[in-house]
Amino acid sequence: MIMFFVRRLLTSSLVVLVSTLIMYVLVDLAIDPLEDLRLSTAPNKQQLIDSREALLSLNDPVLVRYLDWLGGVFGCFTGSCDLGTNWRTSQPVTSLLAGAVGTTLQLITAATLIAIVLGVLVGIVSALRQYTGFDYSITFLSFLLYSLPVFWVAVLLKQFAAIEFNTFLNNDPSVPLWFYAVMILLVGGFVTAAMGGPWLVRLRNFAIAGGAMLVTLLYIDLTGWLTDPALTIVGVAVGAIASAFALTTLSTGLRDRRALGAALTVAGLGIALYYPLQYLWYYLEETLLIILGLGVLSIVVGVLVGLAWGGPDRWRSARTAALTAIPVSGLLFVEQLLVNWERYSNSGLIRGRPIATFGRTTPNFEGSFWLETLDLLAHLVLPTLTLILISFAAYTRYTRASTLEVLNQDYIRTARAKGLTERTVVMRHAFRNALIPLASIVPVDIITLVGGAVITETIFNWFGMGKLFVDSLNGNIIDPVMAYLLIVAILAVVANFVADLVYAVLDPRIRVNA
Amino acid sequence: MKIRKFAFAASAVTMGLVVAACSPPAEEESEGPAEDTAVTIGWNQPFYSYNENTSNGNATANAIIKYMMNSGFNYYNPDLELVPDESFGTYEKTSDDPLTVTYTINEDVEWSDGTPVDAADMLLTWAAQGGHLNTIEAGDVERNPDTNVPEAGDDVFFDSSSAGLALVSETPEISDDGRSMTMTYDEPFADWEVDMSIPVPAHVTVQQALDTEDPAEAKQQLIDAVNEKDNEALAQVANFWNSGFDFSALPDDESLYLSNGAYVMTDFVENQYITLEPHEGYAGDRGASIQTVTVRWNEDPLAQAQALENGELDLFAPQATTDVLQAVEGIDGVEVESGVEGTYEHVDLVLDNGGPFDPESYDGDEETALAVRKAFLTAYPRQEIVDKLVTPLAEGSEVRNSFMLTDGAPGYDEMVESNGMSEEYTGDVEAAQQILSDAGVDTPIDVRMMFAEGNVRRENEFEIARPVMREAGFNLVDRRNVDWGSKLGDGTYDSVFFGWQSTSTAVSADKETFGTGGLNNLNGYSNEEVDGLFDQLIVTTDPDEQLDIQMQIEQILVDDAIGATIFQFPAVAAWRSDRISNVQPAPLSPTIFYGFWDWEVPS
Repeated sequence: MIMFFVRRLLTSSLVVLVSTLIMYVLVDLAIDPLEDLRLSTAPNKQQLIDSREALLSLNDPVLVRYLDWLGGVFGCFTGSCDLGTNWRTSQPVTSLLAGAVGTTLQLITAATLIAIVLGVLVGIVSALRQYTGFDYSITFLSFLLYSLPVFWVAVLLKQFAAIEFNTFLNNDPSVPLWFYAVMILLVGGFVTAAMGGPWLVRLRNFAIAGGAMLVTLLYIDLTGWLTDPALTIVGVAVGAIASAFALTTLSTGLRDRRALGAALTVAGLGIALYYPLQYLWYYLEETLLIILGLGVLSIVVGVLVGLAWGGPDRWRSARTAALTAIPVSGLLFVEQLLVNWERYSNSGLIRGRPIATFGRTTPNFEGSFWLETLDLLAHLVLPTLTLILISFAAYTRYTRASTLEVLNQDYIRTARAKGLTERTVVMRHAFRNALIPLASIVPVDIITLVGGAVITETIFNWFGMGKLFVDSLNGNIIDPVMAYLLIVAILAVVANFVADLVYAVLDPRIRVNA
Repeated sequence: MKIRKFAFAASAVTMGLVVAACSPPAEEESEGPAEDTAVTIGWNQPFYSYNENTSNGNATANAIIKYMMNSGFNYYNPDLELVPDESFGTYEKTSDDPLTVTYTINEDVEWSDGTPVDAADMLLTWAAQGGHLNTIEAGDVERNPDTNVPEAGDDVFFDSSSAGLALVSETPEISDDGRSMTMTYDEPFADWEVDMSIPVPAHVTVQQALDTEDPAEAKQQLIDAVNEKDNEALAQVANFWNSGFDFSALPDDESLYLSNGAYVMTDFVENQYITLEPHEGYAGDRGASIQTVTVRWNEDPLAQAQALENGELDLFAPQATTDVLQAVEGIDGVEVESGVEGTYEHVDLVLDNGGPFDPESYDGDEETALAVRKAFLTAYPRQEIVDKLVTPLAEGSEVRNSFMLTDGAPGYDEMVESNGMSEEYTGDVEAAQQILSDAGVDTPIDVRMMFAEGNVRRENEFEIARPVMREAGFNLVDRRNVDWGSKLGDGTYDSVFFGWQSTSTAVSADKETFGTGGLNNLNGYSNEEVDGLFDQLIVTTDPDEQLDIQMQIEQILVDDAIGATIFQFPAVAAWRSDRISNVQPAPLSPTIFYGFWDWEVPS
């Protein structure tokens, strides 16, 4: 194991080192630091050129400059990291990177999480309903999304989800008839197809799902929800109880009455806290830390509630209750955001056009934690949607494939043969093993995103890693470009390494040997 | 057992519902400025240096913000005329020989920290830009290998230059009241009127460099150091001046972003936006008319157009392309104005590379080479290029017919009438054929044409020109190149078309383009008469005489057929007419920011 580590470390370092040399020379060939001066007609042009040449030691051979740069990089090992400077703005690259990495993480975290959860979920259902209309539709959709160009999706989203939607919101919105029809057919059809079963069951499922959609839309339409949304205690209650049932079904099955009881207790607690929380929000100076702390607290409470229900399988109840606590506290959080929505949307800087098309925040916007969170979300929603649409498809395909492979294995047949319920077979025996291949894909995927949501960042104007790279390259500034390439090279190596290790840990059949 | 637990859950829910009876309080907070006083402007590159006079800080991205923050003795209006701002100060040419200019700053002009703006600030500009105090050259500066910032040593090096102030080698004199400064030029200089600007406060520079507390003392320290050539102090001052004002987010130290003009910087978030608010102490004519001006950065013109449509931007000036123009013209309530910008497209012929335009190719026969050049320029379809590529972007665009003057600038019309470019270079193919046959040259003549690869407009220009030129007897060889900028002047092409960027109307700059051995003379053109006229032009300070000499030069340039100008780059400015009015885009920097004092928010 240690030998494996050492060997990987050595070869990887060598790969990184050689790639930096090649990249340095290539970038140096590609850029022209004097570009902006060449076409200048300024009277002091010669002095400007001299000054630029001296600043960048352009008269030294490229290898000398590379070694200079490498020397600074090796400083990282002795604690004085020097990745060079953006000569145009005199900013050290290390500080540029700090900002860029933060921005990129903010941009991709939610998108990655949602894409993985959705992708896995849809992938599994698609595998379970192999060769049905549902499976074909999902396959069609995922290939369609997979092949869409990012810049095009982004521009369309801006046009329809931001500009047109904002205009719609601004003009006394009401839900149009066609939207009723489309949504009822879509939701009803999706649920029916995903659940499957004989015709009568399908008809019932369609009626239930479509009916629920109709009621929701009517409510939204009739209460002016689009301009002044709120879940109210009823919405929170319905959502909490529904998630309690849903999560219990997945986690232990509804027959486990204690687990169901624990989940419902958590839901009940959440509903009970609805009004007290409003006082808390009023008197409390919220920060992100406090909100996250409350989220963790709710999970702990969930565990405790589960344990309090006791019984021989108390940890199963605890798990179910803790899982339920996540959507329940999430609903309470969302409710508080929604309560603040109208305020946000009508504030002087937003002027009733909440969905933003570029940047991270509205300039000069200051308000409570909730308003600033809404502002961030309003800026995040389009880039996140873009990233989800594109990466979701890949996860669906991977999960579907691996689930199908697992489902066809002998031990699944054995499990079915010995009379286990379908839920146990799928959730406990198939699902976990189906995730193994994903574990090796996800780290690499995330690292790729960290290094390069270039197009998304550019179109939505998030100054993250990708934009730092592109801007520096366009501006003929070599140091940030090299820092970016160095980091991406290191991350790529690390990601592959982590993927190997995770694989070995998850799958006992794989051995990591020297 | 079970019942107890259900009872617990039920009672918890009930308790919650009881509390629900009283409704929770609502929050009262303000969310930033009210809508009627704020304007948001889109720009492509973030601000990065408060000192726009250093070699590095010299960029439009900095200049536009500083334009709103700093006042000055004069400014260009949209017609490219220099307008004095007497509410800031006055300047007067007291003698022609030697050229002597006295600048006086008004009494009530002060920096936003309350320190008066005075001659010490002007002296710092002279010290920094004149280059007379530098003890070493740019190439000899020792730079910190980690940060590339010049090392603070005993050597003085101001990283800046100015053609005009370089001619003022004598240390300027400061009046007793400390508000006037008199500069004596070693020789007359045509563009003396744009030599003096005050980019940074002298007292802050000295305070930061030498750890002085009192502003007045700091100013005196600077004056003493300059007069006594105290290199130790000057080295520190220079060092701070070079890079101390570079920042890319709002610095903690407020003295680093003082204002002596209409607006003060109140917020600056890295890579996102800068916010400007009125400077209370400003008493001049060009005051703030809008309470909050925010400049947001976004490089993608189409993204900016969508942001304009979504109300996130109120005004922006994208690079003019048909896509962007269509995008903004399709938006309700948006006013679009097409105009021109400082860059102008021109075609150059290379005279010293052994190609078809070089007399060497005809065994030194100047006449034949001249005829070939004349034929080439006569046939070159300048009007067609403008009609097909520029007019769709800017209605009413015309062919530019002057090497040195921008269309609309003072004297342009007289120049066009006299220099002969519009009469000779008409795009007349038959006339070109005639010239070639008269000269007895074999056609077709191969001409290697270099231009920017990947630049759609230039690729189209080439496609328009090729068939026309073929008919006239020239075979244009496609030498498009991505690295065309660095290949300029290397002799591997016979003709090139690209744009020269002007940032001022300074007449002295053109000497570099047309004078023998000039930095921007990439064609090997050399004419003693032109050189002589340029020497004369540079020392002429009277605008009428300047124009007269310029007309003489251009006549020779047209007679020598060294190239032709094609068009001024079109510019587009778009703004939401319900959010801002009285926008008056200017061709040169600060473009859309010109006339900010007249901006209004429609009621």
